[in-house]
Amino acid sequence: MLGNMINKGRIKSPWVVHFDCGSCNGCDIEVLACLTPLYDIERFGIVNVGNPKHADVLLVTGTVNKRNQHVLKNIYEQMPGPKAVIAIGACGCSGGVFREAYNVVGGVDKVIPVDVYVPGCPARPEAIIDGVVAALEKVKTILGMTA
Amino acid sequence: MISTIILAILALVLAPLAGALITGVDRRITAWLQSRYGPPILQPMYDVLKLLGKEPRVVNTWQALCAYVYVVGAALSVVLLFTGADLLLLFFVLTVGAVFLVMGALASPSPYSQIGGQRELLQMLAYEPLLILVFAAIATVTGSFKVSAVFELSRPLLYDIPLMYIVLGYALTIKLRKSPFDISASQHAHQELVRGVYTEYSGPFLAMIEIAHWYEVVLVLGLCGLFWSTGVVGMIVLVAVTYLAEIIVDNVTARLTWHFMLKSAIGTGVALTVVNMIWLYAQ
Amino acid sequence: MLDTLVFVTVLLPFLVAAVLLVLREQNMRKVILVATAGVLILASLAMLRGGAFILSPAASYDGLITLGDFVILFVVLFVGFKRKNQIILWLTAAQLVALFWFEFFTLKEHVPTPAFFADDLSLVMVLVVSIVGSLIAVYGIGYMREHEEHLHLPKSRQPRFFFFIVLFLGAMNGLVLANNLLWMYFFWECTTLCSFMLIGHDDTEIARKNSERALWMNVLGGTAFLFGVILLHKITGTLSLQEILARGPEFAVAGGAILAPMFLLVFAGMTKSAQAPFQSWLTGAMVAPTPVSALLHSSTMVKAGVYLIVRLAPIYAGTYFSNFVALFGAFCFLATAALAAGQSNGKKILAYSTISNLALIIACAGINTPAAITAAILLILFHAISKALLFLCVGAIEQKIGSRDIEDMRGLYSRMPRTTVVTLIGVLTMMLPPFGMLMAKWMAIESAHGQFLVMVMLALGSGLTVLFWCRWAGILLASPFGKPVPETQASSVRAPLYILATLAIFISLLSPVVYSYLVAPVVAMYYKTAPYTISFGNFDSTMGAFIIYPLFILLGLGGYFAVKQARKVTAAQIAAPYMCGEQLTVDGKAGFLGPLGQHVPATSSNYYLAQFFGEAMLSKWVNVIALAVLVIMLFGGAL
Repeated sequence: MLGNMINKGRIKSPWVVHFDCGSCNGCDIEVLACLTPLYDIERFGIVNVGNPKHADVLLVTGTVNKRNQHVLKNIYEQMPGPKAVIAIGACGCSGGVFREAYNVVGGVDKVIPVDVYVPGCPARPEAIIDGVVAALEKVKTILGMTA
Repeated sequence: MISTIILAILALVLAPLAGALITGVDRRITAWLQSRYGPPILQPMYDVLKLLGKEPRVVNTWQALCAYVYVVGAALSVVLLFTGADLLLLFFVLTVGAVFLVMGALASPSPYSQIGGQRELLQMLAYEPLLILVFAAIATVTGSFKVSAVFELSRPLLYDIPLMYIVLGYALTIKLRKSPFDISASQHAHQELVRGVYTEYSGPFLAMIEIAHWYEVVLVLGLCGLFWSTGVVGMIVLVAVTYLAEIIVDNVTARLTWHFMLKSAIGTGVALTVVNMIWLYAQ
Repeated sequence: MLDTLVFVTVLLPFLVAAVLLVLREQNMRKVILVATAGVLILASLAMLRGGAFILSPAASYDGLITLGDFVILFVVLFVGFKRKNQIILWLTAAQLVALFWFEFFTLKEHVPTPAFFADDLSLVMVLVVSIVGSLIAVYGIGYMREHEEHLHLPKSRQPRFFFFIVLFLGAMNGLVLANNLLWMYFFWECTTLCSFMLIGHDDTEIARKNSERALWMNVLGGTAFLFGVILLHKITGTLSLQEILARGPEFAVAGGAILAPMFLLVFAGMTKSAQAPFQSWLTGAMVAPTPVSALLHSSTMVKAGVYLIVRLAPIYAGTYFSNFVALFGAFCFLATAALAAGQSNGKKILAYSTISNLALIIACAGINTPAAITAAILLILFHAISKALLFLCVGAIEQKIGSRDIEDMRGLYSRMPRTTVVTLIGVLTMMLPPFGMLMAKWMAIESAHGQFLVMVMLALGSGLTVLFWCRWAGILLASPFGKPVPETQASSVRAPLYILATLAIFISLLSPVVYSYLVAPVVAMYYKTAPYTISFGNFDSTMGAFIIYPLFILLGLGGYFAVKQARKVTAAQIAAPYMCGEQLTVDGKAGFLGPLGQHVPATSSNYYLAQFFGEAMLSKWVNVIALAVLVIMLFGGAL
C-alpha cells in the first residue's frame, strides 16, 4: 500500500536538476522557458532544484567534452535512485555539429545511461515537456504501474 | 489527563496533514499571482512520498540523527501548543529542533552547507528574541504564559497588542522561509547556496525535514491564531489573511542580506515592542 | 557530629593542603587527593542530610581568623610592593587600617556571634563545591602530569598547585557556611589569594600580568566588602548574617540607610564574579591550567560573588536599588553573550558564557521575587555542573590536539569520540530543554515579565547564547563516516568527565525533587511563598508550567528513535559533500578538483561577526555603559 503511494509520488513529483555540458545556451533557455508561466511545468510537480542530491531527473544539454565528462558522471552518481536522464538538443543526443571536434567526447550517452532523447536545435519547450512525460511513462512501466 | 493525551495524538497526526495542505495552497496561490496554474494542492504529499522512496544518502551518521531530532522537536512543540502548555517552554522545545537542523548542516564539510548553517544561525538570532518578546507581551495581557490562559480572554489579543502581531509577522516570515528573509534555504523554486542548510540531506532524511517544516507552519500559524482566540471564524479569517499577506510579500520582495534581516528584525521588533508595552501600561 | 562535618569540609582541606605542599611523591599525592575527594563528597552529603544548622566553634577560633585576615592582607601588600602596583598597595593599606580600627576599637564589646550557619542555599553551595570541586581536583592529577610533561619542567610545581587547589576548597566551604561576616571576609580574601597564585602558576610573562590584574580587581572588591561590613555593623549593630537577614526588611523600610552597605557588598560580589567592567580579569585568567579555570573561574569562586548577592537579596527586596541590580545583571548578560559570540578561543567562549550566566543570576537576585530567587539558586547549581564539565572537556581536548581554538576542533569526533560525546552532552545540557539549566533560564525569563527592559535584554541575550553554543556543537560533528580512532585517556581525567556528564543529566531529571527539598524551603523562608507547585513532576504556577518527566520521556524517546534511525546508515549510503560535481576526497579530507588539477581541501570558518561582536570594540562600549549603570545604581538606588 505504501509502495503504491510512493510510486504515485514518484510519478507526480519529478524534481529536475539541469546540467549544461557546454551548450550554446540555446537549449538552456528553452528549458528555462518551460519554467515560465507560459508553459508552467510546475503544474506537473516538476521543480528545478539545483542540487543533484535532491533531484530525480537529470536534464543534460550541450556536448560532453573531455573537460567536463567527469563532472557529468559525478553529478549523475550523486543523484540517489531511482533516477532518469534526459538528453536535450542535438548536442546532447549525439554531439550535434561539434561531434568531430578534437575535445568533444560526443553525446551524453557516451558517459551516462540516457533514458529519453529530445532532439532539436534548440529543442522546443513542447518537445522538452514531451520528453519529460515520456520519461515518466518509462518510469511507470519500470515500476509496474498501469495507466 | 486523557483528553490531553487525545489532543496530543490528534495534533501529532493531523498537524502534518494540515501543514501539507497549507503548503500546497501556498504554491497554488503563488502560481496564481504569477499568472500560471501551479501544482495540485496535494503536491507536498506527493513530494514527501517520493522522497521517502529515494535511496538514502548522507555525509555522515550525525546528519541522519539531526534530521530526525529536528522533526521530533517540531512535532513536540506543535503538541505542546495544542495541549495548552506554556508558550515559553514551547519556544525552547522548538529551539531543540532548530539547533539540531543547524548542527546537521555544520556536520558536513560542503561550503554550501556550512554557509547555510551559519546563515540559519543568524536567522535564529533574528527571530528568537522576537518570539520571546511576543510571548512576554501575551503574558502581560493574560497574566500567564500558558496557552490555555489566552482562551480565557474576553476580547482578542489583537486589540491589546496589535503591534506585537507585526513583530510576530517578522518571525513568521523568517520561519516560513519567505522573501525577503529566505536567506539560509528557501522554498522550492528559489535557490540560494544550492539549497543552503538542506543541501547535504537527501531521500528519507529530506522527507523528515519537509515534514518538520509542515509542523512548523502549523505551529506559527497557530501562534497567529492565538491573537483572535475568542471566535473560530475570526481566527480562521485572521490566519488566512496573514498567510495571504505572507505570500504576497514573498512574491513582491527579493531576497535581502542577513545584515538587513538582523537590523530590521531586531531593530523594528524591539521598537514596536517598546511602543506597544508603553501603550499597554498607559491604559 | 555537626562539628566533625564542618571540620571536615572547612578545616580538613587546609590541613591536607599543608601536607600536599611538602609532599613530593607522585603516587602518595594521588592517593591523598582521591581520599580527600571522597571524604569531602561524603561529608557534604551527610551535611545535606542533616539539614539547616547554626554552629559556634570555640572563641579562640575568632582570634585565629583575625590573625589570618592580617596575614593575608600583609601578603597582598607584599605582592603589591613587589609588583609596584599602586592600586593594590593603596587599597590593601586602606583595608589594613580599617580592619585594625574596626577590630581593636569598634568591636570592643565582644558579642558572641555564631560563626557558621547553614540553610538550604548554603548546603547546595557546599554540595557544589565539594562534589564538583573534588572531581576537578581529581582531574587535575592526570591533567597536571601531562601539562608538566608538555612543558618539560625540571622540577615539578604540582605540590604548590595542589596546595592552593585544596586550600581553596576549604576556603569556599567556609565562605558559604559563614555567618559571622568577618569570617566570611577572611575566606573571601583567601579565595582571592588562591586565585592570584593559581592564575600565575605557570610563571610566564602573561600569567604574571593577568594574575596581577585579577588581584587588583579582587582587592578592590575585598575593600568594598570590608567597608560594607563595617558600615553594616554601624547600622545594625551585629555581624551575624542570619540576624541581619531576619531583621532585614525593617532596615530597608526605615530610611534605607542599609542600602549603602548593601551596595558595597553587592559591588564586592560583582567584582568577584567578574561582571562588567571587571570582566577582563576572568578572561585573562584563562591562561591558567584548565583545572584552575574549571574550579575557580566557573563553578565555585565566581559563584561566591553571586552567592553573596543572592544571600543578601531579601534585605534589599522591593527597593529601587533592587531594580537597578536587575537592570545591571540583564545588561551584562546581553553584553557578555555578545562578546562570547565574537570569540573563537574555546576557553574565552566558556569564560564569557560564565560571566553571562552569572549576570543572569544577579539579574534574578535583582528581580527579587520568589520565582526569580528560585531561578537564581537553580542556575547556580546547574551552571556549576555543566560549565565545569565543559572546561574539563576543553582541557582534555587542548592537551590532545594542542589548540583551544574551536576551529581546530572541527570533526573532533573522528579523533576523540568519547570526549566529543561528553562535550556534546555539556553543550546540550547548557542550552536545551529538558535540562535544568534551561529550566532555570525559563524561570528567570518568566519572572522578569514584570520588568520590560530586563525582559528585552534577556530575550536578546538568550538568542545570542544559542548562536555560539550551537555552532560549537555542530562543528564537533563534522567528521567523515567511519569508525573513529579509539581514544586513550588517563582514568583520572576520564572519570570526572563521565561522572559530571552523568550528574548533569541525572540532576536535571531530578529537578522537581531538588526544588522541593532544597530550593522551595529556603525561598519560602525568606519570601513567605514558594513560587511553584509540583504536580505529576511538573513545575506549575499561575504564570507558567514547565513539564519535566513527560518532556524527558518524549524527548528521550524521540532521541532514541533518532539514534536508531541514524545507526541504520550503512557505508553504501554515505555520499561525498556536494562540490558542484568536482568533488575529490584525498586522505579523508573532502575537497574539490581545483583549476590546475590539484586537490583543494574544503575549509570553512564560523561567522564571528567582528564588526558587531569584536572583543576590543565591544568591550569598550560595554565597560562604559556598565560603569554608568553602577554609578546610577549607587546614587539612584543606594543613596
